[in-house]
Amino acid sequence: MSKRQLAMVMDLNKCIGCQTCTVACKTQWTNRNGREYMYWNNVETYPGAGYPKNWMELGGGFDAAGDLQPGVIPNLEADYGVPWDYNYESLKTSNSDHNSFQPHMSPTWGPNWDEDEGAGAFPLDNYFFYLPRICNHCTNPGCLSACPRDAIFKRDEDGVVLVDLDRCQGYRYCIAGCPYKKIYFNPKISKSEKCILCFPRIEQGLPPACAQQCVGRIRFVGFLDDLDSQVHKLVNVYKVAIPLRSDYGTQPNVYYVPPTESPAKFDAQGRIIEGSTRLPIEELEKLFGKEVHGAIKTLKDEMKKRKETGASELMDILIAYQHADMFRLDNHYYQEVAKAQKRTPLAPADTRYIAGKFTKAGGHH
Amino acid sequence: MNKILTTVLSLGVAASAALAADGAITAVKVANVKDATVWAKAKFSSITLYPQTAIEFNDKKANVLTENMKAKKANVAAVYDGKNIALRVKWTDKTKDVEQCMVSDVYTDGFAVQFAGATKKPQPLPYIGMGSIGRPVVVHLQKATAKVYEPNGNKDVGMQINRQQAGVFLEELAVFDAKVASLAKTDYERVFVGEGFRSLTEVKDGSIKSNGAMTHGPNGWAGTLTRALKDDYVNLNGTVPVSIAVWDGSTMGRNGLKNLSAWVAITLEGQKQDVGMVADLTTGSKGNATKGKAVVEANGCNGCHQMTASDAKTFMGPSLKNVGGYSSAAYLRESIVKPSAVVVPGYNRNAHRNMPWYNLEKGKRISTMSEYGHLSKEDVEDMVAYLLTFKAEVE
Repeated sequence: MSKRQLAMVMDLNKCIGCQTCTVACKTQWTNRNGREYMYWNNVETYPGAGYPKNWMELGGGFDAAGDLQPGVIPNLEADYGVPWDYNYESLKTSNSDHNSFQPHMSPTWGPNWDEDEGAGAFPLDNYFFYLPRICNHCTNPGCLSACPRDAIFKRDEDGVVLVDLDRCQGYRYCIAGCPYKKIYFNPKISKSEKCILCFPRIEQGLPPACAQQCVGRIRFVGFLDDLDSQVHKLVNVYKVAIPLRSDYGTQPNVYYVPPTESPAKFDAQGRIIEGSTRLPIEELEKLFGKEVHGAIKTLKDEMKKRKETGASELMDILIAYQHADMFRLDNHYYQEVAKAQKRTPLAPADTRYIAGKFTKAGGHH
Repeated sequence: MNKILTTVLSLGVAASAALAADGAITAVKVANVKDATVWAKAKFSSITLYPQTAIEFNDKKANVLTENMKAKKANVAAVYDGKNIALRVKWTDKTKDVEQCMVSDVYTDGFAVQFAGATKKPQPLPYIGMGSIGRPVVVHLQKATAKVYEPNGNKDVGMQINRQQAGVFLEELAVFDAKVASLAKTDYERVFVGEGFRSLTEVKDGSIKSNGAMTHGPNGWAGTLTRALKDDYVNLNGTVPVSIAVWDGSTMGRNGLKNLSAWVAITLEGQKQDVGMVADLTTGSKGNATKGKAVVEANGCNGCHQMTASDAKTFMGPSLKNVGGYSSAAYLRESIVKPSAVVVPGYNRNAHRNMPWYNLEKGKRISTMSEYGHLSKEDVEDMVAYLLTFKAEVE
């Protein structure tokens, strides 16, 4: 457990599945150098199979006794999807009418492959919602526990989970161990890589790219122990933000405001069934646990209070007026940490990521 | 394996000799180890590589593929000149699995040679699983590779661009691609120092000079490793203990999922031998395995250690299912009497936090196993003889 923990809250009522976060992350980190197939941030449709395909069924995480569970490493082609491209060049140079626009291979899966794939019977009770996912920077990470080389570490100053690229030898037990399948194998460098919570940005007081770019302003970022942070208020005070699949036992630090608002169901004659809601509560319970009932109740109560009295701090927070309030980061804090650790306070990034946290010069340990 | 065990036990003491460790390998002195023709003069010896099962990993598919892994034979020869030693290892592997560019769940064939680090006293030898505290090892790893562009290794950051988003097109892009291809590496060779499983650290400062290579033929792989006899880490002379590991990519082999030999003695022809070490590594135990079985049962070893497939997995201690294959009698003796002398760190302690194999006391790993020093020397020796029978059949 780290001294402090950064956390992110995502308000699922406001996610419109536009993938701006996905693109922000991809252009920042994963469009090159063996990471092309990786999506450190992805937005999937629930109840779809997600990315990688059927990730919830691939094992990892801990059982009730705290023992790491075995897992499966997804296949690049079948489960992640090859980053396919199109024949732009031949179209540009060929005059033939038969030269059609084609992918360079026949993909069978990819990120957002099952976009807007819902469940239920249209138009009676069909439903879906968007589920954006990044690494959960868990307090008890499955990836870290699975690594036989101590190549994954959790930073003391903010709980960010990083791969020590010097120690990593590409065994991939971490991928089997992560129940969220949010750590990936880079075949070009034969090492594992994952979401770094944009720590080079965080250390300069900037939010992660996915949060900064989010057009729905659904993402809040801050320290859980910062009593003034909206993250703290949503998670600890109002308890409306709850982690995804906490039953995996990794104590994730990305929290979700569960989707409360969905249209009413129709009866066979196409009439609205008053008081009904399309999102099955069992599904929400599967994702967020029993706490989801309390969260939904609080959200409904506060909405009502807002309608009746015009005042509700919780609603004000969720409206997300100002980035300055949504993101509570402190580059001064990071400079102090760097000084205490005898690192260069204004270095572009934590050098332990590349140079190795446990490696001293000369290869001795 | 049960079948073998029964046969062995019925034969009693005589069988222990039959299960004795591999013989010593004689390294022939040559003018230059880098001359490829030296292998014609070299003396090849057969050694056995046992599946490493001390620790179970968390890869579901790999665990199924390696569940009934058998031991493998390898032919090993060594030559040396005044400065360098070279080893050649030949082993069968029907499938050729080389490093690929765009895969997530494919693994590579490879081999490794482990040397004991230079210490004041050569014995006891380091723990076979990558050394132990105060007894370092140097491990040379060679993986089978195809041509792969590895920009991080070269630090040529300018080439780390997305092909599709490069500021160049058509012919220019082809030129760019050709340049990237020319920068590609064909080798995956690493040298590590370690003082125990999990502590392995890559040596990157060039202080170890070595060269590994692998070629695949109709019968399998031949791997060659050349290294200096003496450097900052090792001082090889007289009798050189080595251990050899091979990985099979087709069964998702990597890291611990491998076949591993016990420490094998290489005697450098024409130099003074360490007679004691050769004797220790080439003879098994003089104990009585049948009696040892009774002692092991009486002391309830399988309460924490998995010994046969029917034993419950407790995560409390290393599995002993193949311990006789890759362990020396000296190591087993020591581990019974002084369990904390070598503590296999296990995988990350956090993976089974309620079942610690050891506790940290003042930075030292203290095994949760109690010391069995109260047993008579004869009982310990019988246990060792019994434990040495725990090894997989040869394929």
